[in-house]
Amino acid sequence: MDPILYNKIISVGVYGSAIGLILIGLYAVLVKKHLTKIVIGLSIIDAGVHLLFIAVGFIKGGTAPIFSEKGIELVNQGTAMVDPVPQALVLTAIVIGFGVTAVALSLVIRLYRHHHTARIDHIKSLKW
Amino acid sequence: MVISPVHYIALPLLAAFLMPLLAKVNRELVRIIPGVVLTYLLFVSVVLMQRVTETGQPIIETLAGWQAPWGINLVFSQFTGFLVSLMVFMATLIWIFSYRFKKVDNEPALKYYILFMMLVTGSVGVVLTGDIFNMFVFMEITAIASYSLTSFYRDRDGAEAGFKYLLIGSLASTFMLLAILLLYTQVGTLNMAMIAERMHTVPVGMKVTILILFLTGLGIEAEMFPLNGWAPDAYSQAPSPVGATFAALVVKAGVYSLIRVIFTLFDIQGAYQYLIIMGIITLIIAEFAAMKQTNLKRMLAYSSIGQMGFVLIAFGIGTKEAVFGALFLMFNHAIIKSLLFMSGSFFVYNSTSKDIKGLSGIGKKFPYMGFLFSIGAFAIVGLPPFSGFWSKLYILIAAADESMLALVAIILLVSIVEIVYYFRVVAKLYFGKPTDKEVVHKPTFGGYFSMTVLAVVILLVGFYPDIITGFIHRAADTLLDKGAYISNVLSVGH
Repeated sequence: MDPILYNKIISVGVYGSAIGLILIGLYAVLVKKHLTKIVIGLSIIDAGVHLLFIAVGFIKGGTAPIFSEKGIELVNQGTAMVDPVPQALVLTAIVIGFGVTAVALSLVIRLYRHHHTARIDHIKSLKW
Repeated sequence: MVISPVHYIALPLLAAFLMPLLAKVNRELVRIIPGVVLTYLLFVSVVLMQRVTETGQPIIETLAGWQAPWGINLVFSQFTGFLVSLMVFMATLIWIFSYRFKKVDNEPALKYYILFMMLVTGSVGVVLTGDIFNMFVFMEITAIASYSLTSFYRDRDGAEAGFKYLLIGSLASTFMLLAILLLYTQVGTLNMAMIAERMHTVPVGMKVTILILFLTGLGIEAEMFPLNGWAPDAYSQAPSPVGATFAALVVKAGVYSLIRVIFTLFDIQGAYQYLIIMGIITLIIAEFAAMKQTNLKRMLAYSSIGQMGFVLIAFGIGTKEAVFGALFLMFNHAIIKSLLFMSGSFFVYNSTSKDIKGLSGIGKKFPYMGFLFSIGAFAIVGLPPFSGFWSKLYILIAAADESMLALVAIILLVSIVEIVYYFRVVAKLYFGKPTDKEVVHKPTFGGYFSMTVLAVVILLVGFYPDIITGFIHRAADTLLDKGAYISNVLSVGH
């Protein structure tokens, strides 16, 4: 296959699936009534954003951004390095997302024990 | 030990994670350690503010030996220093207030103080950091601690309020992450000074997209309409010292980040008008909603939202006087709203219901507490001998100077609404018929102490505004001088 076309298909696929994940997650958060499904939706949005981060930092044929003999040799030969910053950011964002999901699930358990239901439209002791 | 801005972040974080171990040694340490850390940070604030005021230059701390555009740096300027000192001062008072807090027994006390220290770390870090992604991380630390503190009591609807807050908060953080990603693809750096320098190369459409994503992400903590649905629930369900913490620390961090993004990072003219419009909507809706509330804490929460709308309006006017007024109002809001939450919570605790109706005549039973609450109520509506008067006056003058007379009219009209609902409570306190069923819980000594300090500060600033205006003037100048911020941060180590 033509390499330019191939690259285009790959990048459309990656960006498209990242945005698709974000939209699927948003749909789950906004439409679903079950608390756990909402939390899953939040995680899916997170995954989409993380994929977008990685896709932005990626350079085709680039080597790993590690300061090693092999790495320096490759760079001297003209190989580009993948941008390390988005990868570092994604690691941090994953950890934060994990923390938020853990807190969210513990709140779901608490809500379930308190109200004996996990449907968000049945829990309305606080109103505007 | 050399005093440096790093201590603001390192010490509370260290204390938070050491506390479970220290609790094994002695249970009482759990309550004492936060106080020791916060008192030391207060001392750090005094020393650093003095240094910054003397030299007129910000203290810029590079972390891990990496210079500005590559590494993360902390910027302690006259503006950020002022906010950080205010936060640490308030955190210390809230610690004194919650020391031996009634419902906090030994086991929950550990959790409470760990989360409280995390909250301090996060909100102070948001203000100090010079790196946009680092700001996001601190925002999340603040947010996760806030979610947990909101749902602290098991017997209330805290979990529901906490889950609402978490839903809005984590969506917001996703938007902020997207904004940071787009910004990074456009300018190739995360350092805020560098971003500000390269911002003019970004196409306008992209700039607006990023700004909108940022505003959505940051408006949540800043209680900007329509992203403030979490606030009334969270304020009313959280333990009372946490309500004060939200008003004094979390919201301040939110407003700071919003202002930093609009004033330093972006140079879009329309953003200021946007702030004014959102501020007006926030102000009007919140104040009218507050008037309709029957629950005291919810009323205070809506009033808090209204005050933030006021702050946004003042920042939106954007002149030096207006920014001065906005910072003054942020200071006033921190001290006054904390006083109201602290004293209001004792009334709620001592009455049969959480409603304002249940407060009937309670001011006669607790004359001193009623006096403190009244000081807070008079100060926040802006009656002359109290500190709230000056900030309102300066904002009105700034608006009039820019010949925004409609704005002046709106602010004054909304003030009437504010007066109506605060005076309704004060009238209930003193002129209502006392009910004699309630059990009387006295405030702790710490509670009396911190509330008295706040009332004294309100009166002092009301009579002698000069003791604080110098700092606020310099803070406003520092915020508006974008060029100095960029050159100061980027010149370190060159």
